Amino acid sequence: MASRLHRDHRAIVAFAAIGYLILTLVIAILPASKVQGTLPFPGAPVRTAEAERGRQLYLKEGCGFCHTQFVRDLHVDRPFGRPSLAADYTGEAPALLGSERTGPDLANIGTRQPSEVWHLIHLYNPRAVMPQSVMPAYGWYFEAKERTDAGDVVVPVPKAFSSSDKVIVATPDALALARYLLSLRQFSPAQ
Amino acid sequence: MSAVANPSTELITRQRSSAAADAATARVAYQYLVWATVWLLVGTVAGLLPAIKLNWPDFLPTPWLSFGRIRPIHTNTVFWGWSTMALVGLAIYVASRTSRAPLWSPALARIALWLWNATVFGGVVTLSAGWSRGPQEYREWVWPLAALLGLGVVLNGYNIYRTVGTRQLPEVYISNWYILGAFCWLLILYVTAYLPIYESGVGNVVIQGYYMHTAVGMWFTILAVGVTYYALPRLLGRPIYSYALGVLGFWTNMLFYTVIGAHHFIFSPIPTWLQTIAILFSVGMMVPVWAGTGNFLLTLRGARHAVHQSYALPFLLVGILGYGLGSTQGTFEAFRTANIYLHFTNFTVGHSHATMYAFIAFIIWGAAYGLVPQFTGREPNPIIVGVHFWLALVGVVIYVVALSVAGVLQGMTWAAGRSFIASIVAAEPLWLWRTVGGLLMAGSHVAFAVNVWAMRPDVRLSEQISAVPIASTRHA
Repeated sequence: MASRLHRDHRAIVAFAAIGYLILTLVIAILPASKVQGTLPFPGAPVRTAEAERGRQLYLKEGCGFCHTQFVRDLHVDRPFGRPSLAADYTGEAPALLGSERTGPDLANIGTRQPSEVWHLIHLYNPRAVMPQSVMPAYGWYFEAKERTDAGDVVVPVPKAFSSSDKVIVATPDALALARYLLSLRQFSPAQ
Repeated sequence: MSAVANPSTELITRQRSSAAADAATARVAYQYLVWATVWLLVGTVAGLLPAIKLNWPDFLPTPWLSFGRIRPIHTNTVFWGWSTMALVGLAIYVASRTSRAPLWSPALARIALWLWNATVFGGVVTLSAGWSRGPQEYREWVWPLAALLGLGVVLNGYNIYRTVGTRQLPEVYISNWYILGAFCWLLILYVTAYLPIYESGVGNVVIQGYYMHTAVGMWFTILAVGVTYYALPRLLGRPIYSYALGVLGFWTNMLFYTVIGAHHFIFSPIPTWLQTIAILFSVGMMVPVWAGTGNFLLTLRGARHAVHQSYALPFLLVGILGYGLGSTQGTFEAFRTANIYLHFTNFTVGHSHATMYAFIAFIIWGAAYGLVPQFTGREPNPIIVGVHFWLALVGVVIYVVALSVAGVLQGMTWAAGRSFIASIVAAEPLWLWRTVGGLLMAGSHVAFAVNVWAMRPDVRLSEQISAVPIASTRHA
């Protein structure tokens, strides 16, 4: 067969395509179809519409290039929470396990850092709360105002990080992002 | 015999149009290279910027230039703009030459080129605007862009398939196995990656592992190896060491490479059998990798003088070594122990540059310097070639060493249970070195761009070519 194959470009293409399709089916499509049906934890809280909007902003800004949401059953991952399970990701598209930890894992950040004010200051300028941080400052999700209006969420940014005497106010986007981060709490049915 | 001595008018006409078709093949292959170079420069800027931001995070604090948006612009532009267009330009030429036939339709190739240009440009614009499918590596582009890219793949794949179909020799040269295989596989894996029906929850992770790895291994690797199977013997003026090793590499690459993507998600909630088989087959990858690398090195055996004399062969040699060593490094990274300490660190980013740059980019440059003058009639400037080679080589070595060390330091601070910020403080001086390496690499890209201009088609030559019978312009 080999001696004929190298004279027949149609056969080469056909074998390559069929072989690859079979492998793709076995290694990717079938297992993916199977595991995507994993049931969520019974009683796990459903994300609010606002937190879901925050998740879309998280995708838009590419936060997942530096932050994993993927705790492995290893001692090096202990600080980040319990090992991640398939049910943690049910219904998420895309699931944000990630491949790089330039910043810390966020699978359980809502539990580990439950302060909304901290998250808002940190998003406005991470160096205001962590001097050595290299995370981008998301200043465009905040507004510098002369005076506040009713319902404004004022972010108490240290003086060194806010220009002049204006107050820094979180936009609805900043709040959505912070609430998404706060919603990242690993669920345990035993709780 | 008499027909050769006194060719009929009809024969001369046919030969002239055939030579003109050759010139058209050369023109479109060159256009691919020009646009690839444009995207190389864009992608380089998009790589330097986030590198600098890791040391100066408040540098250019504009939304559309922020780290998370520009990182995928870098990866997608150098993947689909630079590497893909350059390799396909070379593949067009290789398929045509080894088939002794002009490209089936240069017009179709030009349409595909503009589809791809529109796609990559659209990718830069949409990702900087924040229209992204999120951090799913190399498939961040929104689906209409993916559809355009896929259409270009179909057009080019069909075009090359038809070209090989009109070959003047009975055998399909080994390069064309790889080139046709690559188009076939990219189409399948790209469609698989963008179909949403099995991608919820952990299903998405299974597909991400499959996709992010096979996009590299079943497209860039295959095309680069295919191009090398032509460029290396051509430049050395000797046959490839073993045709059979080439065939072995082709099929084993398909078998092993397709299966190993899950090694990006070791210790994750995807099925354990997938993880284990991915590690096993990563070891199996040594078969195609060393079948290819060994075959190329054996072809080069005793050709030290030729390598010294050539300005293309040193690039190919680095590329071949980059292939063997980079891929072997990848196998070791797949092991569970390596995953514990090195996964999630900069070590992986160093590895991806050892392969996409020290392997893929160097093969492209070697093949471009070796082959383009053969069809444009103009040579590059030798001094600028030298500048290109050394800046690129020293740059990528600094880059890979810096990130490998940074990765080990990150892994060590994590294993020691120190506060997370310690890993950033440890990596920061090495990130500066990464930028230094990156600047050298950027300088080498400018040198390459100057040489691409220097190698532009010589109009007088292509007129001469169309004026003489085809037999004298064809190489043996």
